[in-house]
Amino acid sequence: MRLPLLARRTHKWLALVVGLQVVLWTLTGLYMTAVHIDIIHGDHFVRTPKEQPVDVSTLVEPSILASRFPGLQTVQLTRFMEKPAYVLQSSSGFALVDATSGQTLSPIDETKARALARHWYAGEGDIVRVDLITKVPLEVQTRPVPLWRVEFEGWDKPTFYFSPLTGEMIARRHELWRLFDFMWMFHIMDYDDRTDVNNPLLRTATVLAVLMSATGLWLLLYSFPKRKRKKSKAKA
Amino acid sequence: MPFMMLLRRLHKWVGLVLGVQLLLWAVSGTMMALLDHHEVAGEHTYRTPAMSEVVQPLPLAAVQAGLPGAEIVGFKLRPMLGGHVYEVKTSDGIRLVGPEGRPITVDAELAKTVAKAEYAGDGKVSSAVRLTEPTLEARGRPLPLWRVDFDDSKATTFYVAESTAQVVEHRTDTWRVWDFFWMLHIMDYSGRESFNHPLIITVATGIAWVALTGFTLLFVSFRRMDFEWVLDLGERLRRRKKR
Repeated sequence: MRLPLLARRTHKWLALVVGLQVVLWTLTGLYMTAVHIDIIHGDHFVRTPKEQPVDVSTLVEPSILASRFPGLQTVQLTRFMEKPAYVLQSSSGFALVDATSGQTLSPIDETKARALARHWYAGEGDIVRVDLITKVPLEVQTRPVPLWRVEFEGWDKPTFYFSPLTGEMIARRHELWRLFDFMWMFHIMDYDDRTDVNNPLLRTATVLAVLMSATGLWLLLYSFPKRKRKKSKAKA
Repeated sequence: MPFMMLLRRLHKWVGLVLGVQLLLWAVSGTMMALLDHHEVAGEHTYRTPAMSEVVQPLPLAAVQAGLPGAEIVGFKLRPMLGGHVYEVKTSDGIRLVGPEGRPITVDAELAKTVAKAEYAGDGKVSSAVRLTEPTLEARGRPLPLWRVDFDDSKATTFYVAESTAQVVEHRTDTWRVWDFFWMLHIMDYSGRESFNHPLIITVATGIAWVALTGFTLLFVSFRRMDFEWVLDLGERLRRRKKR
């Protein structure tokens, strides 16, 4: 077989096999590059907390916490709705404690979850639904349950996930994130968990794409005939 | 079919200009699909430090006394090398206060000790260097950092934050190879971080064009004779079955 013919045949047959996936790669890649990652992460609808100094002499001593929570491992001083609070990790799990009064705040109930969501939300809209979820949805698949899921109104359905045990924001999602994740699924060809970047299907398809683009470049060598080139030069 | 002719020409010309990047995307994508992501993340190089019980924690007044004049914004009482330390967030940075109430300075020795305690490989520490300038390998991490190198076959490097004495990055040669292809893939040749810049968006638009025209051309690029060998094969199999 003549070389140009071989190049053309291999290029078009490879394209027949992997062409649709290459289209998907370019379109999903285009979305992921064109929409800035900070927007995808939802930075714009979360308030930035102000750092305020704490007078530690007003706080409950960690030694008292150690006697109240057997097997205490870590104590973190943060803020829960502006007020100083401790996130504790002990042998019985996580807990949230008011750092001034010592009152246990966890598990957080629905009223507090709503207030917490309002506190963090930088947008204008109202809360449309609040759920305590025990089965983890795909969009927060790596996080431990239970979680408070708070959704706000709006076309992009901003959603916060809070831990009922620590009051911390575990994740934030919105429609552009969900679309990104959907694109990512096609990009890495893991249609189940959307996480495995080493799956056999992806490995096979990427190798075929290398061959397809390489034969495409090879084919370019024969795609601009010399005769024509001379003619156009003469014209110029 | 003049419209298809036009598509073919555009496919050719845009391919001529941007084809090399498509090949680079395919090659770098292949490499990232082939390199095991657990290896890339260096998961086998470290173990998570064991949790231990808080015993007689330092009183908060002693923490404040250990950091005279510091405005405390938050803190974390957490295990470190068998004991517990206070990692204190102040209005001008993070400070560590040890069990005796003295601020801890993270020097080369401590950085090595922390790195060794988490290291799960079979090498030894070969060097510890203090970094004050940003590096590609520990990009995005707060400086200064201690770079602790191990002499194992994967050239493992742990980065220890000077402020917290915590290992913030685990790098190996597998990661270094992966990172090179990541750079090619996202076309951020200096920072290797951003995939939202005008160059990649422009080229991706062009390549999307090449892919879409190419896909459309598939519908006119095959003749019946292209599939003759398939038909032949089917025919032969059918005959064999009859026998």
